[in-house]
Amino acid sequence: MDIDNGVEEEEEEEFGFSRNYFLAKELGGSGKKSACKLSDIDLVDEQELRAAASNIEPKHEKEVVALMNSYRILYPKWVFELRCGFGLLMYGFGSKKALIEDFASTALTEYCVFVINGYLQSINIKQVAISLAEVLWDQLKTKLATTSGNLPKVQQPFSSRSMDDLLAFLNGSQAQDKDCFICVVIHNIDGPGLRDSETQQYLAQIAACSCIRVVASIDHVNAPLLWDKKMVHTQFNWCWYHVPTFAPYRVEGMFFPLILAHGNTTQSAKTAAIVLQSLTPNAQSVFRVLAEYQLAHPDEEGMPINNLYTICRERFLVSSQVTLNSHLTEFKDHELVKTKRHSDGQDCLHIPLMTEALEKLLMEIRQ
Amino acid sequence: MALASAATDSPIQTTSETNDNNLQTFFVLHKASSRKSEKRSTGTGKTRRRIDLSPSSPKKTDKSEAERAEEWDERRYEHLRMEAFELVWSRIDLTIKDVLRGINTNVLNEIHSWVCESFNAIKSFGTLGFAEATRSFPIVAAATCKRLFTGLILTKNMEFVDDLLTFEELGLSLRSHGCHVANLSSMDFSAKNGIGGCLRGFLRQFLTTTLDAADISILASWYREQDNHDSPVVVIIDDMERCCGSVLSDFILMLSEWVLKIPIIILMGVSTTLDAPRNILPSNVLQRLCPSKFILGSPAERMDAVVEAVLVKQCSGFSVGHRAAVFLRNYFLNQDGTLTSFIRALKIACAQHFSMEPLSFILGDLLVEEKQKGEKICLLPEVILKHASQLPSYVRNQMADQTAKSLVHGFSELKRLQKCWSIVVLCLYEAGKCNKIRLLDLLCEALDPDLYISRASNNHVELDKDSGLGMASDRCKRRKYSTFQKGGIISQIVRKVRDLPAVMLYQLLKSWENITVDILEIHEKLKELQSVLRFEDGKLKQNVDDISKRHSSWSPLNIEKDSKAINEKAATLLDCLVRDYLRPMECIPLHEIVCFKNVEKLQLALIGDPRRRIQVDLLEFYKILQCSCCSKSGNVLLPSMHDTSVISGTW
Repeated sequence: MDIDNGVEEEEEEEFGFSRNYFLAKELGGSGKKSACKLSDIDLVDEQELRAAASNIEPKHEKEVVALMNSYRILYPKWVFELRCGFGLLMYGFGSKKALIEDFASTALTEYCVFVINGYLQSINIKQVAISLAEVLWDQLKTKLATTSGNLPKVQQPFSSRSMDDLLAFLNGSQAQDKDCFICVVIHNIDGPGLRDSETQQYLAQIAACSCIRVVASIDHVNAPLLWDKKMVHTQFNWCWYHVPTFAPYRVEGMFFPLILAHGNTTQSAKTAAIVLQSLTPNAQSVFRVLAEYQLAHPDEEGMPINNLYTICRERFLVSSQVTLNSHLTEFKDHELVKTKRHSDGQDCLHIPLMTEALEKLLMEIRQ
Repeated sequence: MALASAATDSPIQTTSETNDNNLQTFFVLHKASSRKSEKRSTGTGKTRRRIDLSPSSPKKTDKSEAERAEEWDERRYEHLRMEAFELVWSRIDLTIKDVLRGINTNVLNEIHSWVCESFNAIKSFGTLGFAEATRSFPIVAAATCKRLFTGLILTKNMEFVDDLLTFEELGLSLRSHGCHVANLSSMDFSAKNGIGGCLRGFLRQFLTTTLDAADISILASWYREQDNHDSPVVVIIDDMERCCGSVLSDFILMLSEWVLKIPIIILMGVSTTLDAPRNILPSNVLQRLCPSKFILGSPAERMDAVVEAVLVKQCSGFSVGHRAAVFLRNYFLNQDGTLTSFIRALKIACAQHFSMEPLSFILGDLLVEEKQKGEKICLLPEVILKHASQLPSYVRNQMADQTAKSLVHGFSELKRLQKCWSIVVLCLYEAGKCNKIRLLDLLCEALDPDLYISRASNNHVELDKDSGLGMASDRCKRRKYSTFQKGGIISQIVRKVRDLPAVMLYQLLKSWENITVDILEIHEKLKELQSVLRFEDGKLKQNVDDISKRHSSWSPLNIEKDSKAINEKAATLLDCLVRDYLRPMECIPLHEIVCFKNVEKLQLALIGDPRRRIQVDLLEFYKILQCSCCSKSGNVLLPSMHDTSVISGTW
């Protein structure tokens, strides 16, 4: 039958694809490798590099524009599927941020649109839930005011409620009009700030709320591994859309160091500053303690953890080792700090930045 | 990046506000604008049941005005299609839930009886005084009194997602009988949550106040003080094999200490075998359990029931074409294997149908008011009638009269032919049950238009451009079982009918009698066969009027021949039914309105495969961008290529 033949052809194509991949890996390993490294290249300053990169003329600009425009005929279909209760998952090469926000601005004007920038390094999912609850609350108040309904009683502020209570509110029966929902746009739902399983579970529970619809984008090839079947089929309820745009990842790539920058192992000052700004004030203060020690002791391998803990306790920045450890874990996740084993066996912390970059960073986070 | 503007579209602007928003974790892009009343169709929800599509604006000579009026009508039709989808899908959803509930009804009743018995057994250990009952520590009791009655519910399903609804229903059912029920999932028993988090989640299901410290004694007080102590507390843990063993163990040990104060009964879902708790819980915990087993309906049974109710009996009028059915079956078998994914794929197909087929809104009203459909279709505007008359299946039929009346007739005929098809499939399914034929496989074959056409052409039946049925009653006397796909399921079933033992054949004929009751012509054929048969002494015999012939029919050889002849007749009847009435949806005029066929779009929406697709995007970008500079390069790298394509091409 045609379908069976079609399935066989597809399987043959996939098999061929995998076979080529393994062959390429085999051949790749057999050739002679060059001893040259990127770090041997005498590179310009990062700022100059970024300025030069931004001046590169993008290729196929007209075709990219035409391609983006061509997706506009799909907008009514996307709205229809959102109204049917599905979530939209956009994938394909190229930044989809402009496309999704254009879709939201033109086709979803009847609905409130809440955007989460998942490409950022650190996102507090509870803050997101609190803000969503506040937006829904405003919407309900407006609706009830216009229909002369009874205004609901003043409730406990959302910021003091637990995550379960917030989810219960979002999923509550207050939104009686099935066609009245909040559209949550999540750019890069597979981004580094949203990738942990707990956040994904919370996002899935938010997506499952009756008054929420999700439009999300992914760029990581392994993104589907984030979700189990319950999340895919009953909570997110994804409809996949292949919308390659070939638009550059200008915004999404802002937080990743340029490949040609000073080695892959060092974090640029600018990127570090952006990351630090998204952390809590206490975390920033702990980082400052570490940075000041490093600047004051340039010859040492790093600051012993015990010393850091003592100073932070004295300054009331942390109350226990557990709190300090959680800050350190966060720094390590963002590659702001590296741990080394000191010659006397203690663990030492070291910020992988040049002295000038570190000084500049301290000045920026003081502001 | 700025986009070029079309005639009426505005380009995307990257404003400074947007740039500031790029660094915000989250922001509100815009709030909902107020809805305009004319965007809604007349009335809302259940009160709106008339199609009111008469043009409300006078004809304008100005093109832009006419375009605006048409656009507005398009929005109304879209709204009608949306409403039709909601109607159709809610009917399908309700049917599925009823069917699944029906499969599990016996087990759920069994569980409820067992819960009552267990509660009585706990109470028989002795009643507690008020002081004893409200102390904040458990009662010291013998080990036998500390055992928890535990129901192990075998789901026989590796994917728990299919049983979510079952456990919800179980909770609702027990609550309706007065039990206090807590539904806990494996997430509540995660190592990260710990026993504290688990207990907090458990208590939150009964106590409305916020808990600072989770303590089981609070529940004991609640149980006694609130007059709640006439019913058991049932804890449902949906998937015990995904729970963290240590947390679950601590939970069970704690509950067993308090069981005399709080009569708790546990129900746990087990997906592999009933021995699974031995792999997760240590022996000291296992000793605290007093298990009983319950077994749910198998996944295959559930799938067949859903397919029967939704796609064969077509509870909503919506159906899928042959290729779509085959895709759904393959998706279920190769990709996912869960009933939930099958149902979701069906929902996507349904949504896509209502999104893409302009006339699909008619299905909504066909579903609701069968009697008035004729009237409604006559009220449709000319443009809609014209569109319907241009459907390929209608054009093939070449009906001379393309008016509202012929459309009404067309819809009636569609419904009638569908009913006949559905009855024949059910008859085949009944006959195939003894050979464990899966209904989904049978459905795929029954929907195949090529098989129908080859059946009809083999019998030299005039297809008359899909309009009529053949004069098959004469044909089936001349031919036997020769029109089916060789090795196909339908041919297998018909052959097996010949070999059925008498008792099973008798039961089969009785079941066919029930199935065919709505279509007189089929029912009469069956009655005709049944009238010449009688069931005696465990054998089916033909009724013989002549006494002499009756005597001769008593010999064993003749009884054997008699039985074979009966099987032959039953098989012939089935053969005739298949030939005459198994007309797939895609061979019926106007099927485009009610039948989804676009497999490619369904596949794209269901199966993302980003790893493969992104690589293909990079290697074949010129097909997507349609640029003239790179399209002829083949595998040769060019400087005009996208940078990432160049990098991926050099791997």
